[in-house]
Amino acid sequence: MRERIEKALRKSDAEYTEIRIESVSSSSAHFRGEELDNIGSSKTLGGIVRTLVKGGWGYATFNDLSNLEIRVKEACESAKLVGKGESKLAEVEPVVDEITATLEKDFRNVSLSEKKSVIEEYNKIILHYDDKIETSTVGYNDSFRKVWYGNSEGTYIEDERPDVGVMLSATAREGDNVQRGFESVAGGAGFQIIEGLQEKAVAAARRAVDLLSAPPVTGGQYTVIINPKLSGVFAHEAFGHLSESDFVYENERMKELMVLGKRIGSDMVNIIDDGNILGLRGTHKYDDEGVKTRKNYLIKDGILAGRLHSRETAAKMGEEPTGNARAISYRHQPIVRMTNTYIDKGNASFEDMIKDVNLGLYAIDMVGGQTSMEMFTFSAAYGYMIREGEIAELVRDVVLTGNVFETLMHIDMVGDTVEFPPAGGGCGKGGQAPLPVGFGGPCVRIQNVVVGGR
Amino acid sequence: MIVQRLIEKAMKKAQGAQASLGQSESTNVSFENDKLKSVKSSQSTGMSVKVILDGNVGSSQTTEIDDVDGVVARALEAAAFGSPAHFEFPGPQEAPDVAVYDDAVLPVTKEEMVGIGEEMMGLVKEYNTDILLNARVGKSVSGGEFANSAGTEFSAETTSFSVGVGGQWIRGTDILWAGHGFGWKKREVDHVTIAKKTVKLFKMAENLAPIDSGVMPVIFSPEGMNVLLLALQLGFDGKNVFLGSSPLAGKLGEKIADERFFIADNPLIDYAGSSGRRDGEGIPHQVTPLIEGGVIENFLYDLDTAGRAGAKSTGNGVGCHPTNLVIKEGETPYEEMVKNTKEGLLVHDVLGLGQGNPISGEFSVNVQLGYKIHNGEIVGRVKDVMLAGNTYEALKNISAIGDKAEWAGGSLLTPPIQIAKLSVVAK
Repeated sequence: MRERIEKALRKSDAEYTEIRIESVSSSSAHFRGEELDNIGSSKTLGGIVRTLVKGGWGYATFNDLSNLEIRVKEACESAKLVGKGESKLAEVEPVVDEITATLEKDFRNVSLSEKKSVIEEYNKIILHYDDKIETSTVGYNDSFRKVWYGNSEGTYIEDERPDVGVMLSATAREGDNVQRGFESVAGGAGFQIIEGLQEKAVAAARRAVDLLSAPPVTGGQYTVIINPKLSGVFAHEAFGHLSESDFVYENERMKELMVLGKRIGSDMVNIIDDGNILGLRGTHKYDDEGVKTRKNYLIKDGILAGRLHSRETAAKMGEEPTGNARAISYRHQPIVRMTNTYIDKGNASFEDMIKDVNLGLYAIDMVGGQTSMEMFTFSAAYGYMIREGEIAELVRDVVLTGNVFETLMHIDMVGDTVEFPPAGGGCGKGGQAPLPVGFGGPCVRIQNVVVGGR
Repeated sequence: MIVQRLIEKAMKKAQGAQASLGQSESTNVSFENDKLKSVKSSQSTGMSVKVILDGNVGSSQTTEIDDVDGVVARALEAAAFGSPAHFEFPGPQEAPDVAVYDDAVLPVTKEEMVGIGEEMMGLVKEYNTDILLNARVGKSVSGGEFANSAGTEFSAETTSFSVGVGGQWIRGTDILWAGHGFGWKKREVDHVTIAKKTVKLFKMAENLAPIDSGVMPVIFSPEGMNVLLLALQLGFDGKNVFLGSSPLAGKLGEKIADERFFIADNPLIDYAGSSGRRDGEGIPHQVTPLIEGGVIENFLYDLDTAGRAGAKSTGNGVGCHPTNLVIKEGETPYEEMVKNTKEGLLVHDVLGLGQGNPISGEFSVNVQLGYKIHNGEIVGRVKDVMLAGNTYEALKNISAIGDKAEWAGGSLLTPPIQIAKLSVVAK
């Protein structure tokens, strides 16, 4: 493959050219209720050429690899149509590297029937948990991605990117009241991480049943404590996207809003994006421009400390590249993305956080989140009211919303233990979803959070 | 045809087989931060095989069209312990005509597409140079072949064309996003009207209008209707109905909405985003009324789910998902709806839809682009506002339905609808 890529690269008359080829083998199986809903596998082979001429980009994506030179030519023509300015890419040292995935239990050697029987057991646990369980969705997915990357500056990387996950969803019903309990485990790891999840299946089923009798949370402003699984999503949604430089580098107003050194949160707020944490879903040695990933402080002691870059945004802002140009697949060009984002630990214990809260909300686990830069929402799987310093009743339909600039200032306590829950899920941006990302954090207390509800 | 070879190969072991092949070429022009950023051309191929072996189903996909042997072998492997089949592959059937291919799409050049984008951005800039713009123009031409072991065999070609323009307007720490776009299977898209709609959305948002928390009437614009429709898409999914996770299970023939409310699944509208003569299982498309006069008429089924539920496929395979949703027009002009509102909200776009427990009908979303109505007039944009409610309660509580339906995206045709009372939480 290296020869083919390098030969095609030589045909380019652009200022910069890169070729990324990917082959993906994946398999999946899903139960819906008692029965297996589908089972199958797929094989994908495709590539993308990316060229830069006078600041303009040309892309060509393809499944037909028989003539790479034609794709290079096509991308060059597109770039020439676009380019009217000056090309800028941050300097990086060319590397030649080969990364081999080592999996404790390689899922490629596990038969489809074994994959099926592992989730069949979880499915049975959910369905037999209680009479109120109406149905279930239990799914298994794996993919093994091999990436060949070469660019016109001499970088050549072969990378293997495994991903495996199980999702467990229980649906409980009483009349018109339908509630769901959800658990998931995923990682860039071997089959062993999705074995032995019987307790998670029970937890999903129990939650679905418990939520049937939980009232929806009453809307209003509360002191909210978020648990580690949720604080990671908070770091990602409420702030992480703002630190993606493609939203900033050609936007003068945004540059003023996001000047490094500006106070953006209270003293105890530290938010980090790190593409190097072993086993997490956002971890890779190199990004999709062949730039090494690293640990990037976004907020340090409440002060805006850094941001995430591609080579283009780094050059245009006069900052260092950070290894955050990621693409979901060969059908897409890399754009600035997070890797594993977390809030760093503080020094509060959970007891400290809760004891002086008269009326508040303890929000637990994530369902999802979305941002429009300034405003964000994220949803907890469930929550408990806090009354007079104690955990009180279970509540459902917990959606938190806020304005990032205010909310980070309203963080007044940060827990003393960081966790990285191995949950599935991913991030969407610019039509590229779901990109595997990691989340983490401690418990965090925030004052005056708007909670949706009736 | 390759699909024939796949079927022949599969039928050496299987008792039934289905194969499809798809190929497409597309071009996308993208503007970012006020300027042309990239031009992308994409070529793609893919084929898939589904087999029934000893009563069980297995499937496999690949992008490598030379790998006929491999893809069939993997489908057979999966079927060996696959899901039980509740259907047989359908024989040849006449399918209704619907236009999904436009000769005018293929000849559109990259330069023309750049020109369309530039013109749209120019129109928005004319209104306000402070808005930082993005725009996109895309086209594609696709072809497909389909065959099954029961003798159904066809090929289909489709085109698509889409444009959009939007932007970001920052004042202090206030970040406002607005934009509009449209795409369907025809070249004819009025990009000037689309740019003007974007301008209108920004104009209405020039002022920030504080709003008090409370229960108030809420108008959903055609785009905003997605807030209410998500629950229906999940609720009318025949698989969710069969498994009992839909709150509509067992309610066929029951009245669940205002009697003026009619919604249908319609894949037979010429050039609409999800139109076509047949579904992914070769079943002829049809118009399926879902709610008529507030009463549940049908659910959506694919072959396998229909077999399990003792129903008939509605041509919504695979997956029981809707195609184009069409909501019937009512009698109230939009202007009148606004004029009759003393204190209320107009919702155009939200953040966080589908995060909670959407199948139950519950929603709790941040109003990303919404406007305050005061004494019958739109007085400005609202901010830091959550809207919460339940689709099924809301549909019983409709106060007005607009007299003109509009496309929101390429697959939803709906008038604006006003709900008499919804809960709004403001900061």
